[in-house]
Amino acid sequence: MSNTTKAPVEFTELAKETVLGFLERTDDTGLALRIHVASPSPLDPRYDITLIEHDEKCEEDVVFDDPGFEVVMDPESAKILDGARVDWVETLMESGFKVENPNLAPIGSKPMEGPLADRVQEVIDQYVNPGVAQHGGHVTLVEVRDDIVYLHMGGGCQGCGMASVTLSQGIERILKEQVPEIAGIEDVTNHSAGDSPYFTAEK
Amino acid sequence: MPRVLLLFARTSYRAEAFLVAARRLGVDVTVGSNHRQVLADLAPGSTLSVGLGGVDRSTATIVRFASEYRLAAIVAAEDDFTPLAAAASEALGLTHHPRDAVRYARDKALMRKRLSGAAVSSPWFHVASLHDDPGAVASRTGFPCVLKPLSLSASRGVIRADTPEEFVNAWHRIRGILEAKDTAGRGGGSATKLLIEAYLPGREVAVEGIVVAGELLILAILDKPEPMEGPFFEETILVTPSRFPDRIQDDIVSFVRQCAAHLGLSDGPIHAELRVDADQISLLEIAPRSIGGRCSAILRFDPEAALEELILRHALGMPVRGFVQETGAAGVMMLPIPRSGVLRQVRGLEAALEVPGIEGLEITIPLGQTLVPLPEGNRYLGFLFAKAETPGQVETALRVAHARIEVDIEPP
Repeated sequence: MSNTTKAPVEFTELAKETVLGFLERTDDTGLALRIHVASPSPLDPRYDITLIEHDEKCEEDVVFDDPGFEVVMDPESAKILDGARVDWVETLMESGFKVENPNLAPIGSKPMEGPLADRVQEVIDQYVNPGVAQHGGHVTLVEVRDDIVYLHMGGGCQGCGMASVTLSQGIERILKEQVPEIAGIEDVTNHSAGDSPYFTAEK
Repeated sequence: MPRVLLLFARTSYRAEAFLVAARRLGVDVTVGSNHRQVLADLAPGSTLSVGLGGVDRSTATIVRFASEYRLAAIVAAEDDFTPLAAAASEALGLTHHPRDAVRYARDKALMRKRLSGAAVSSPWFHVASLHDDPGAVASRTGFPCVLKPLSLSASRGVIRADTPEEFVNAWHRIRGILEAKDTAGRGGGSATKLLIEAYLPGREVAVEGIVVAGELLILAILDKPEPMEGPFFEETILVTPSRFPDRIQDDIVSFVRQCAAHLGLSDGPIHAELRVDADQISLLEIAPRSIGGRCSAILRFDPEAALEELILRHALGMPVRGFVQETGAAGVMMLPIPRSGVLRQVRGLEAALEVPGIEGLEITIPLGQTLVPLPEGNRYLGFLFAKAETPGQVETALRVAHARIEVDIEPP
């Protein structure tokens, strides 16, 4: 187990108070807070934050206690969470911990800028959208990150049985041809939410 | 990089799974379909329009295409495209089931004739035309029986009748289905033909396999735990591995091998559906393709591979022996459409996903669309996927999760 001097994760005052409140309400004095990156995908980053017993810690865990309680992370999660900030949010609909992680910002959360994004946008405007418009579809650039283009497919493309074909056999090929630096294309569309797909699947 | 021609219907559930598999194998893909891809002009060679109607004409289109873009394999994702895949593969000397074998397997009446002619245990059957008098046909039919339109698949239009009155009612209902806009004229010469055969009691199982140079490799046996006794035969739950005793499973495998061999299915995927009643095993159908819908998602193999990868590997001449089904149990529920109407809302999805063992849930019909249940309908509401240690746990997870899903349907 490695104890770090510098806390890799910062807790807001409210998050600290909430955790300390949880700890006070238990009789067990040996509890620690484990943070685990359940999904490192920028499309859907997810974190598990749970109280654990002392014997649930592992030899290789990264441990720190700056917030006033012990925080435990597996090495991989610690790497991804370095510089992250944990907050506690309460709204009418839900309450829970919120992790702001600069290493894992959700796709679409960063402002789109730079020559690569501009060139991708140009290809979408010039080639892709006029084509998919024939089926009432449209494609929106969500983000370009690490040479990967993230796209949203709307209108007739959203939920269309042939959307994956349009993406891999059309959009990806023209994008890679026109912008060779692009390494891949990811579709971030929730196709289940499409209300006017051009083709719907049948048995 | 070898190029594979994947043939999908424009309404395919299977496109994405095959495209992912092709990408994992590092092969180039051309998608052949019965509609022109909207971006076809932007990426020459990536798509090809081929009609389903004239196999010879579409074969010529594929042969012409192959002279410019050399094809290493042709794979049909769905039943409708298997005759074209077989014909074009034969023309180009590629690995595939022979044309005749595909024809025998796809035509329910021809299949019955071939198998009974080869002394394979088969139910009684006869073929009727919708132009015949249903009362007269009923009078020379045994009961209980099942009426199956030859031109449709996936249980569409399949109805059980226990009496002459039920037979005539089923007949008229099937006539209505075959005269509907989306089915009229489908199936060519078989468009108005019905197979009438004995109702087979027992539990239903499906068998997934690949025939490699005449030898059938069994990939999975899937139980259908729902009693499928009619009058309609909606598939809902599939669970693998099978809970039948090993002895019965061995008999199932050997029976499917026998049927595939008699039909001449020699190189490619097969999907068989059978009834097991005590020790009696009967074939419902054996199709020259893989399992339909999104059901293949529950079939995973070691070393890491999906069913579609194994199909592509075989078509490309790569080895497929040595892949074994992953340990543990898996299952899928094809969410049934409870009644006709307009789909307004589906609630309880998150609650369903929270059921232990549930791995995924997809609703595949958009809100606002019209739902049509069997026997007229040809779509599923969606798919629910589960994984657990045992088949029993998988089945329970699927049933519990399904009970949490509420579907709001506005009457038509």
